[in-house]
Amino acid sequence: MILGLLVLHVAVCVLLAATSRRLGRNGLLVGAVPPAVTAVWAATRLGDHQPESADVAWVPGLDLAMTFRVDAFVDIMTLIVSGIGFGVFVYAYGYFAPSAAGIGRFAATLLAFSTAMLGLVWADSVWSLFVFWELTSVTSFLLIGHKNTDKPAQVAARQALMITAGGGLVLLAGLLLVTRSAGTTLISEMMPVDGATATFGAVLVMVGAATKSAQVPFHPWLPSAMVAPTPVSAYLHSATMVKAGVVLVAVMGPALGGLPTWKACGLAFGVASVFWGAIGALRHRDAKLVLAWGTVSQLGMLITLFSVGTAKAALAAVTLLVAHALFKGALFLVVGEIDVRARTRNIDELGGLARSMPIACTVAVLAGLSMAGAPPLLGFVAKEAAIKAALALEGPEAWIVGFGVIAGSVLTVAYTARFLVTVFGPGPETALAARRHALSLPAAVLGLAGLVGYAALGPLNGVLGPAAARLAGAAEVSDLHRWPGLTLDLGISAIVLALGASLGLVLSRRLGRVPVEYGARWTDASIEATMTFGRATSARLQHGSLPVYLVTMAGTAALAALPFLGYVSFDHVVAWDTPLQAVLAVAIIGAAVALSFVGTRLAAGLALGAAGIAVAAVFVVHGAADLALTQLLVEAAIVVGFVLAFGHLSRSFPRVGLRWRAVRMTVAGLGGAAVVVGLAAASRSPVAAPPLTEMATASVDEGGGSNIVNVILTDIRALDTLGEVLVLATVALGVLALARASDRPEGSAS
Amino acid sequence: MNGALLIAVGGLTAVGLYLVTGRSLSRIVLGYSLLGHATVVALIAAGGPAGRPPIAGQAEPEAMANPLPQALTLTAIVISFGLTLFLLALARRQRTITGDDLVEDDLEDRRIAGPDSLPGEQEDQAAT
Repeated sequence: MILGLLVLHVAVCVLLAATSRRLGRNGLLVGAVPPAVTAVWAATRLGDHQPESADVAWVPGLDLAMTFRVDAFVDIMTLIVSGIGFGVFVYAYGYFAPSAAGIGRFAATLLAFSTAMLGLVWADSVWSLFVFWELTSVTSFLLIGHKNTDKPAQVAARQALMITAGGGLVLLAGLLLVTRSAGTTLISEMMPVDGATATFGAVLVMVGAATKSAQVPFHPWLPSAMVAPTPVSAYLHSATMVKAGVVLVAVMGPALGGLPTWKACGLAFGVASVFWGAIGALRHRDAKLVLAWGTVSQLGMLITLFSVGTAKAALAAVTLLVAHALFKGALFLVVGEIDVRARTRNIDELGGLARSMPIACTVAVLAGLSMAGAPPLLGFVAKEAAIKAALALEGPEAWIVGFGVIAGSVLTVAYTARFLVTVFGPGPETALAARRHALSLPAAVLGLAGLVGYAALGPLNGVLGPAAARLAGAAEVSDLHRWPGLTLDLGISAIVLALGASLGLVLSRRLGRVPVEYGARWTDASIEATMTFGRATSARLQHGSLPVYLVTMAGTAALAALPFLGYVSFDHVVAWDTPLQAVLAVAIIGAAVALSFVGTRLAAGLALGAAGIAVAAVFVVHGAADLALTQLLVEAAIVVGFVLAFGHLSRSFPRVGLRWRAVRMTVAGLGGAAVVVGLAAASRSPVAAPPLTEMATASVDEGGGSNIVNVILTDIRALDTLGEVLVLATVALGVLALARASDRPEGSAS
Repeated sequence: MNGALLIAVGGLTAVGLYLVTGRSLSRIVLGYSLLGHATVVALIAAGGPAGRPPIAGQAEPEAMANPLPQALTLTAIVISFGLTLFLLALARRQRTITGDDLVEDDLEDRRIAGPDSLPGEQEDQAAT
């Protein structure tokens, strides 16, 4: 079933990409089908505790396989990814005007993201996890940059890609280290690990997760990504993709949770993000940015809870994960509707929407109350569980987590109150465009789901409990409560709500200044530095000069001979077989050197002929008559060809700068020396004497010829020789074609 | 291994490398040709000592040179001949089009690299 659903996604995705122009906006409805099917499948599996798995062998020799596994926790994530995905596809149908540009492309990319995200949450092998992780980064890049003529969108898309894909590389390094010490690549089979390798790997994995989940200081890409169309913001940048880091921390928890660095990093990222995100949400005046900064804060809360690792914290985190996907999705969709109908998202320009958009207002209040953690909504249950989990801890951890959860909740209530009051409360009357059902329905469903979740907490316990148990490695997890009774947690909750609400109401009219983006400046600088470094590197390496490329390659190849220096031995080297060889060697080198010094092409051609004849003489001395003959023929042909090709150029060779010539000479000398070293090293293991008698006999008896070399070529290596003939024929055709073409001079030819 | 031939191989390689790193296509062809010579001499030298031509009946088998490397070398000569001829034809075509036989820089790469980022070869540019 798992593989079938993936295939369905990919197939529809290809279909959408192929027919994007013809389908236009209807492509979004077609794209909604695979998420709908997947969501139904996941819903029927809820409460089924038997994990389902599937794998596709990829490179069996390297033990690489695409392994997928859907257990209690993954099933919840599947429902979030596909259920909200379905809603977002429907919403996008209402969000875009029928004539908007590139909707078909948008639908295909959105479904591609949906596929990648499912692959990510289903992945059990760390390698498939990494592949889908990077695929979500790439599709996110494409979706943020959807308006491909819009400069800010391009900049934001690039920033998001640099941070999330770069974080993916850090994650890869971390996964390599962790799998090395765990001894398995399957996440479900990992046992708790320890040791220096695992400790370092855990830090890298946590950093990778923090980049994806927009944790401080990697968060600036998330607010920037709000330039994307609202369906993208709601789907990728609040409900699903940014949860990938959280999911990673959750599923790696059982294996890495015992390492002190894992918990320390997780708490540092999480608590810092809880506060910095909430402060950002309190200061911004763009409704969408308020939500985005709120997401940074909530993701920080999730990372904090998951890295604590206790069963209670895991239960609170899973509940918050679900609640957040519902309320934040709903709020984004409402803001998108406001954006479409009022043509502004600035909270200063919005007012009176409670009266003019009653449904949107109701949905937003429901979702907002859930975000603030007020009863009777799922967010309340999640926050109660989080406070309970924090109170159950001991030592400094209890203080850090308790402070993060409680103070973070106060700020959450504050920015929620500010958001609701400024957007829907009194203010300038906003003119609105007509209502579209496709826009309000998905938001209403998500908003109501928080209420339904609270009402149906009994069955929900049976779903969230096993998921938390799986993540905490515990056999049993305490239940969630609809109403905790008059306990300390409830008291804290009430104080949080009261404090937060008053703070929010006070701040809703006070803060007028749009904040400086401290973090953004830092990230921009590092991205700019990376780009500059990249440009400088490619300018240096890819300079386009053939001679410099060749010198670089030859120099590197010469250095490769260094290891052979130790093997050089002259035991088997004789000075010469006959003195004539020494004379010929001198002649060859002399001709070659002369060749490089003579000024005109004609003289160079003659020197080339001299060198070739000397080589032929070497063959004669060596007893290789056939070679000598061939060499002479070939040499004659080449000299004639050379003169034909260049004889007309009366000009001498271009002059070359002295320093560059010295570099070339050095490299050439090194290259020559390297060849000598290699050959001298090879001569240390002399070959056995060839079976000459047998070869001579076989040549006559079996090959039917007395010239052994010819028999080898035409009999033993006949097929190779045939290939050689083909090469020569091809060359002849090529030369002919080129020669014909040059009979008709083109361009500025003389 | 034959010391004299070893030196000849080293010399041919060095001069050949020097020539192929130049800008003039005709010199690149020359250098390529010398590198081909270096290869065939190396093959022959590595294949054993000199001897009588390996023709059955004309010499005692014990006095013959090893025929196997000779067969391989013959292939090497022919293939490098083919490539050299093709290079010559290309060079001639280039001359017809540009009126010269100089290897130009890749314009696309130069555009990426910017005007003053060539490592080491500026003098070459200035001199031509």
